[in-house]
Order: sequence, then structure tokens, then C-alpha cells
Amino acid sequence: METFFHFETMNTRQYYLDIFKVTREELEKVTSLSLGRGGDYCDFYFENTTFFNLLLKDGTVSSGGFHTDYGVGIRVLKGERTGYAYTESTDINDMIQAAKAASAIACSGGESRSYSPVKIESLDLYPVRSNWREIPADAFLPFLKLLETKVFQADNRIVKVIVRLSNSVSDVLMYNSLGELTFDTRPMGSVTVTAVFSQGGKTENKTAARSFRTGAEFIGEDLADELAKEVVKGIDERFEAVRPKGGQMSVVMGAGASGILLHEAMGHAFEADFNRKGQSIFAGKIGQRVCPAGINVVDDGTVMYNRGSGNFDDEGVPGQKTYMVTDGILTSYLHDRISASWFGTASTGNGRRENFRYNPIPRMRATYMESGNSEPEAIIGSVSKGIFVNEFSNGQVKIGEGDFTFFVKSGFLIENGRLTAPVKDINIIGNGPQALADIVAVGNDLKIDNGTWTCGKEQSVPVSCGMPTVLVSNLTVGGE
Amino acid sequence: MINDNEIQVARDCIRIALRNGADAVRVSLNKCVSDSVSTLNGEVDKVSHSADRSLYIYIFADGRYGTFSTNRLELDELENFIVNAVKMVGMLGEDPCRRLPDRSRMEEGARTGMELGLFDERYLSIDTDSRLEAAARLSMYDKATPAGCRLISEECEYTDSYDDTFLIDSQGFEGRHCETTFSAFAEMTIEDPEGNKYSGFWWENTPFYDKLNIENIAATALDNAIRQIGPKHRRGGKYRMVVDRNCATRLVSPLFTALNASSIQQKMSFLDGSRGQRIFSEGLTIMDLARTPGKSGSRLYDTEGVATKDAPVIEKGIVCRYFVNTCMSGKTGLEPTIEDISRPCLMPYVKGDDLACAEKEVSLKDILKLCGNGIYVTGFNGGNCNPVTGDFSYGVEGFAFRGGRIIHPVREMLITGNMKELWKNLVAAGSDARECARWQIPTLAFEDVSFSA
Repeated sequence: METFFHFETMNTRQYYLDIFKVTREELEKVTSLSLGRGGDYCDFYFENTTFFNLLLKDGTVSSGGFHTDYGVGIRVLKGERTGYAYTESTDINDMIQAAKAASAIACSGGESRSYSPVKIESLDLYPVRSNWREIPADAFLPFLKLLETKVFQADNRIVKVIVRLSNSVSDVLMYNSLGELTFDTRPMGSVTVTAVFSQGGKTENKTAARSFRTGAEFIGEDLADELAKEVVKGIDERFEAVRPKGGQMSVVMGAGASGILLHEAMGHAFEADFNRKGQSIFAGKIGQRVCPAGINVVDDGTVMYNRGSGNFDDEGVPGQKTYMVTDGILTSYLHDRISASWFGTASTGNGRRENFRYNPIPRMRATYMESGNSEPEAIIGSVSKGIFVNEFSNGQVKIGEGDFTFFVKSGFLIENGRLTAPVKDINIIGNGPQALADIVAVGNDLKIDNGTWTCGKEQSVPVSCGMPTVLVSNLTVGGE
Repeated sequence: MINDNEIQVARDCIRIALRNGADAVRVSLNKCVSDSVSTLNGEVDKVSHSADRSLYIYIFADGRYGTFSTNRLELDELENFIVNAVKMVGMLGEDPCRRLPDRSRMEEGARTGMELGLFDERYLSIDTDSRLEAAARLSMYDKATPAGCRLISEECEYTDSYDDTFLIDSQGFEGRHCETTFSAFAEMTIEDPEGNKYSGFWWENTPFYDKLNIENIAATALDNAIRQIGPKHRRGGKYRMVVDRNCATRLVSPLFTALNASSIQQKMSFLDGSRGQRIFSEGLTIMDLARTPGKSGSRLYDTEGVATKDAPVIEKGIVCRYFVNTCMSGKTGLEPTIEDISRPCLMPYVKGDDLACAEKEVSLKDILKLCGNGIYVTGFNGGNCNPVTGDFSYGVEGFAFRGGRIIHPVREMLITGNMKELWKNLVAAGSDARECARWQIPTLAFEDVSFSA
């Protein structure tokens, strides 16, 4: 018995079937073949993505291009085990070959597992007014020049400006052996500007970026103003900044991008594949306290226009908001269909993949801590000696040990409750559970950072992060 | 794997682009087939097969330039794609430095793709059963009895792949590169009696099936996990640092980024103006040995088709070479070289010792003994290097050593410094780079490195 789900009209469903030149009958036929060797479940992920990019450098938009990626990934599950193959053609014969390759997993024996249907809901998290695909390249050129001009005007120490504009639109059709058919068109627009500053023989660079699931209406003078203002903000301090003396100290995480602390210290270790395999430091700790009371940590796939959001995840499960930590208690891992079946729970809609070449695995979306009650100024004022950090570039975690790092591009020393000397280019290292336990104050100023965050766990997927101002009483700061 | 029809498609792309207004065109056709079998705790967990293809088209038209790619190789689709591509190039700003390389600089001897001997015929006879058998041999789950701790999980993966690239341009260059790769990987996670978890991994990688030694990979991964048990915190300060050959590339790659003319032209390089200068320790010599047959990482030409050359990049601390492609040569006035490093080989060195004989062996044990006391870094955990200043900060893990002997593991440590200063303080480089690595970077030792903990 086959059930088709859709969130708009039957015509829309047909639109996606037409893109991939497949019919219901062909999907059923390949499903039968995929399960023919004893698989428990199979699914297909059709993708047609167009990418577009422009680069302004040395005063001219002299580089650009577009790119097309098209294909279908076929996954067969037997128990928790995965057979995966893909083809860059959706011709029925090519799909049959891929299905046969993926179905080989069922030949290796092992126990079976049942996979349950999910409740399909209609979300519309990224309505588009202006489709990227319908706009010629030259329409974007004035914006790039405008942004370059505004950045140069913002600071006379700037010697170079580089502007990148990229967008992509992905048509996705998902079908599985439970009869669920879902489809989505996912836009993404990103603008990044880098300015190189020169002062007294010293050079510094600074980057600002915005990225959203949105159409081309994203591009405009307001965005140029915002980015130009941000890219020069704090540059005086950057020139003055020094490396602090390293060691263990209190760290105040500024609101916004310091959400990378959650992503690295907590989010990865809460991804259910690591916990299913017993590898995570948080394995077996559902229901236990992991943070002080009052702290809520969320992974949210439903923030409008957010880079990490999805009407569906890449297994056809509707986007959801998942509380990982509620009032300090670990309440949920982040599940795909495999881990949800293994843990006997529902998928949280975290089954994501880079593209059709990859099988889905549990991944974060927009990960943030909800606001607390403290005033940010009061948090800083409570620290006699420590560091305030507000700009970040990357991070990493060791899942089993829980050790994480994140790289701080800029911040300030805190001395006797006041921000004093600027600091830059330092690493902060800590241990996930310990850092969470050491949170002593949470500000009332949650901010989501809308930069071009990309998570690289096996595959690259767009994410975002957020945080209110937070005081961690003890982290290791790298320094002289 | 790339067949005659597909080669013809690449040639047709050149023809279509020229016919529609391009002045010059380069096309790169890439195909890759990869198969892998993963096991979890000794049982097959994942079987995957992939067959990729991509066509990159680089269009030069009226002093303008654009890059386009697609994996849809049907000629009617391509024709429309290329017409739109040329049209888009016409919308971009002029860049007179964008052009094909001088024909005389291009490789002439990469006709079949087999010239470097990186293709193993055995690949053609490997079937699913032999992959399953290889993955099963990798696992030691049933035999693993780590003393004093519990094995939480074992993940193993066997992979083989075949890459085939055909590069062609409108001035008559044609080049091909074929390469097989066979690799095996294992990661073991253990738990000590206090409930602390530790993971260790190990891998092998080779172009030749018969050279893939998978017997001890899981055992080595387990040893790497076990030896981390019982880490202690060390006081921060200045230590001698020995960096294991498996992670030493982390400290080398910022040098190559900074030596790229693209970084220099954008004023994003801490090595701007360094060519011909002694910047580093006289013990630092890095050769680019790109044309060594049978070695991973070797290639006869770069992405522009320019012939590679075996040459020093840094010799006795003196910067010898920037990486300058055709466009960057035009923008900077620097003589063009090649686009990027291919197969760097960092030569052995011991401070105060005469190592003129390249065969002299310098092992990890020798280097630990030479250094006496310090921190032996076996892994990096996050961090960054500022491309403009060379200032870096990395999370590290490893072991404290005293009297040349490892005494206990350390973690949650950070190193900070400046790349130029770090490499001035090189005291030793081993002769122990792993055969399987594309970058031949051995065990390294530095003095006066700042650790925070």
C-alpha cells in the first residue's frame, strides 16, 4: 500500500517527479529490487542542485561560475546496517544497478529491524520571493560593487576587499519503502566580505558573512550596510590586541557565535550514532543532569530562513525543534531513522547528508542555548580575572573523551569586572561535561549567529549556532 | 574508465565553447569509482559503492574568465550548459591576467595516464567478496582483550578506488592521470574502570593492493587508545616539542599556503617577500618530489596542465620557490611555477649533526633521546594559523617524556606561537615519514614551544 504525502498540491509532486524523470511505477519497481535480498527498509534521495558564485577581487568581479549536480542515492537497511550506492543518472537501468549494489548489505545476514512511518507535516520555512535561478549574473554585479565601496568608505586603512556571493537551489525528492514521498526545494544565499587592513607596517584581516535559506531578495543595500559595518567593527582592537598569558581562567562567552561551544562541547556528543555505538561521553546518560538547573539547550530545524533549517531532513522527516537539555537534564539525543529505531523512539529529524553521494547520519541544525535571567553587563562585572570572547572561526571535539577546542579570533581581558586589553588568535580548550557543569551564569540576550557555519563530521552540511552571554568558570586559554 | 566517447565529449566541449564565443577553453573530465565495506564490532555495518563523474569547463572570453561544472554529460544538455556559461563570462569584469599557460611549460608525456605507475591492474579483479574478506581480516573484535579496560566499539573500513582524470585545452594540450588507491582504517574505543573513554585509530594507504598490509591495523589502533589511559595535566610553560609523523603535516601546510602567490597577491601571507631569504632553521629542507613513479601524490602536471618539476621549495631554511599559476604570475609579476605543492618531502636533520648522507636514519626514538625532556604531540585538536601574521594556536594531545622516555599521556593542552619562529627552532627532523602518506613529513622536534594547560 503506497501513500503519497505532499505539502502543496499534486501538481507540485508531479513537478519533482518530472525533474528526475521518474514515475511512481519505477519507484515501486526499484523498491522491490532494493529489498529483494532481504532488506528491511530502503529509501531514495533524488537531488538536482544548481550552484552559482561570483567573486569580486582587486576591484572587479572577474571570476564566477555555475555548477550542476544531479543524481540519486539509494540506501538499503538491514537492521542498523547500511547498503548505499548512487548514480548520477536517474535512468531506470542505472537506478536498478545502484539498487542491486545497495541491496548487497542484506546478504551479510544479521537481525532485522522494523522502521516506522513518520507523521508528515507541512512546513514552509523558507518561502522565496525571488528565485536565484531566474536572475542573470549581471544583476548581482552592482551589489558586489556597492558592498566593496561601502567597505572601503568605512575605514581608510583598508587596502584590499574581497567579496564572495554564492547561492544554491536544491530540488529534492525522497521516497521510501514505507510509501512516504516528500519533496522540497531548498535555497541558500551567502555573502562573505573580507577586508585587509594596513597600519604602521602591520597587516590585519577581518571577515563578515551572512547566510540564509532565502531567495535573492536577501541581496540589497541593507545587507551591504550591515556587512560593511561589521567587517570594520573592532579593527582598532585587533591592531592593539595581544595574546594573553595562557592558563585556566573564567571565560565569558559573548552572545551569538559562541554557540560553537555548544556545537562542539555538547552537540556532537549528543548525536545518536555515537551514542548507539557507545562511543560518546554522554552515552547512557539520558535523564541525568549535565548542566546546572535552568539551562535549556536546543537543536532547531525550524528557525525561519536559518541556514540549518529544513522543511524535511534528508530522510523525509519533517523539521523539528529538539530540546537536548531541559532545565539542565539530558532529555534527547539527535536521531536519524536508524538510531531512532535502535533506541525505540521517534526520529528528531536530524538525518542529514551533504548530497546524494552520502548516506544520511545524525547531524545538528541550528544549535543554541535559550536565554537565562542575567544581564550581560552583570556577568562581565562578576569576573575579577578572566577573558571575554566574541569572535570565533572554528572548533573541534573528541567524541569519546569529550575534549573540545574552539578558536577565538578576538576578545578582551576581564580585570576586576571590566573589559580591558584586547586579545586575539587564541584557542580555548575544555572538556564537554566539565564545561557544561561549570556554567555559572546565562544572559538574557540569546543571539543566533547567521554566518556561513559548516559542520564537517564526515560530510559538510550547513548549520548555525547561537548563545546568550554565558560565564564558564574554568576553561584553558592558550597564550604566551 | 574514461572511455573514448567521453574523451570525445570533452573535445566537443572545447569546440562548442569556441563556437559560442570563447577565446580559449580548458576542460577537465574526472571519473572516480569507489567501493568500501565497513564493520562495526566485527560485523558488516555498511557496504557502499560510488561512481562519480564531473566535467569542469574553464572559459576565457574577451579578457574574462569563468569556471563551470556539471555531472550531466549528455551532449544536448552540455551544449545548452556551455552556451549559458559563455554568456555568463561575458557579464563578468575583465581580467587580462586570465589566460592559458604558455604552451612550452605544459606536460607532454602524460598520454595514457599510466606513466607514473600509479594504477594497479589488480583493481580490476577485486569483487564484493574480496572486499568483505578484507574488511573481515581487518577486525580483531573477537580477539581483543585489552588489559585493565573494556572495549566499547571497533570500527573498521576497507576501501578501494580508481581515479581517472583527462585534461584538455584549446591550444592542443591533452593529459591524463590514472591512480588506484587501497586503504584500510580502524578505530577502537575503550573505557577504563573509572568510565573514561579513549579512542585510537590507525590506517594504511597505498596505490597497490598487494602492498596493503591490514593485519595489524586494528591492533595498532587499540594500542593507540590504551596508551592514552590516565592522562595528567602538565603545568604550562616552554617545552621541547616532538611532533609525531602522523600529524606533523598540520605544522607544514601553513607554509605552503603562505608560499602561494594567491596569498601573497592578496596580502594574506606571512611569507611575502621571503623568496631567497633565510627565514627558517638551516635544518629545514623541503623538496617537491612530484615526479617519483609509484608514489602517492606524484603527478606529472598541475591543474593547468603545467609540467611539475622535482625541486626544492625550502632549502637549508632559505625560501626557494613560490607557487605561482598563470593568473597570479600576471598579477604579481612573479615568474610562473606550478599551482601548488604536489608531493613535499621534508628532509632529515639533527641540529649539530652532519646529515649530508640522506640515507642516515633518524627515528622517533632517536629524536626523543636527543630532546631529553618535553611533550610528544601525537594529535592536534582544533586551532588555527593566522595567514597574515603566522601566529598560531592549536589544541594538542600526546605524552610527556623525560630522559627520552615517554612517562604519561597529556591532554587539554594548547600550543601557541608564530610559524616563522617555530620553524627557526627546528632541532630535528626524522627520516621516518610514512610510506603511505602523500606528504612525506617525518617526526619533527622544536625547542622553546609555549604550552598552556
